[in-house]
Amino acid sequence: MAVRIFHWLSRVLLAGVFLYSGWVKVRAPLQFAAAISGYQIVPTRLILPLADYLPWVEIALGVLVLAGWKLRWVAAGAAALLGIFIVIQTSTYLRGIEADCGCFGFGERISPLTIARDGLLLLPALFLALQRSPASSTASSSRK
Amino acid sequence: MAPRVILCALAALLFVAVRPFAAPASPDGSALGGALDAPIRVEVFSDFQCPACRSLYMETIRPVLRDYSSKDKVCVIYYDFPLQMHQYARVAARWAQAARSLGRAQWLAVVDALYTQQAKWSENGSIEATVAGVLTPDDLQKLKKGLNDPAIERQIERELTLGNQREVKSTPTFFVTAIGREQRVVGGLPYPVLKDFFDRIVK
Repeated sequence: MAVRIFHWLSRVLLAGVFLYSGWVKVRAPLQFAAAISGYQIVPTRLILPLADYLPWVEIALGVLVLAGWKLRWVAAGAAALLGIFIVIQTSTYLRGIEADCGCFGFGERISPLTIARDGLLLLPALFLALQRSPASSTASSSRK
Repeated sequence: MAPRVILCALAALLFVAVRPFAAPASPDGSALGGALDAPIRVEVFSDFQCPACRSLYMETIRPVLRDYSSKDKVCVIYYDFPLQMHQYARVAARWAQAARSLGRAQWLAVVDALYTQQAKWSENGSIEATVAGVLTPDDLQKLKKGLNDPAIERQIERELTLGNQREVKSTPTFFVTAIGREQRVVGGLPYPVLKDFFDRIVK
């Protein structure tokens, strides 16, 4: 039961975070492009396409996590994306660049806090990616 | 059933999120470059003494004026938004507003000089010397006469109010309006990125 509750909490949290984050960026692709350029890591030619499409990827991940379609694979994808965010943020922070995080809105500087926050979000994503499906665990427990 | 309901709700949410914003029917300021009916409008709320505003002007807006506004593809509108933390920002705004009444070429020359030589006049407020370098003596005299016109202060107040209405919290903040959609950008945006965006619309 506890696992099932944690499973749903993880799904709702992860989906909510990705949906909100994507929604904010979809509304302001140029502001998001400005945030991406602040990281000084993405080639200029790729900034605008990334600002256009990454929010939709986040929204798609949020929808799929909530809908439960191929959950383990989708959660693995979400974990990979969060991992990329963590690496890029850490690299930017260590280079001493004061960049806008562009995570859940704009105007928040990259800091150990924003990196830790992404690290925490990685936990439910990894949990869902590594967990056996709750349906099968329920079935197996009802058989006992 | 549940996934379908979720998908429908999210589709409705996204429709609301990406719907075009209503652009203002007509801008309150005159254009620094480009025709007012250009397909793209860039409205900048800027402070002459703010270093980030200087960077935005020098590295982004200047090339926009050169490459797009000169061909009436992008209309660039500048609004004065002098911050209280900058000692000479409001005085500089008054000089720029006064230059505006002389004509677009003079206005642009003064704006350009104020940003180019920002470090110089920001130290001691020597704005007249900066402006004198880019105007004819005749224009400078006219500008100095116009400096005390109360209409200038009223215009700056109007632009500050407009900025507050549009929830400008810091400078530079600019709004890009194209294809009926307005986007706010706080801070700078590299010219090549903005150029890619413009080229999708007006190339």
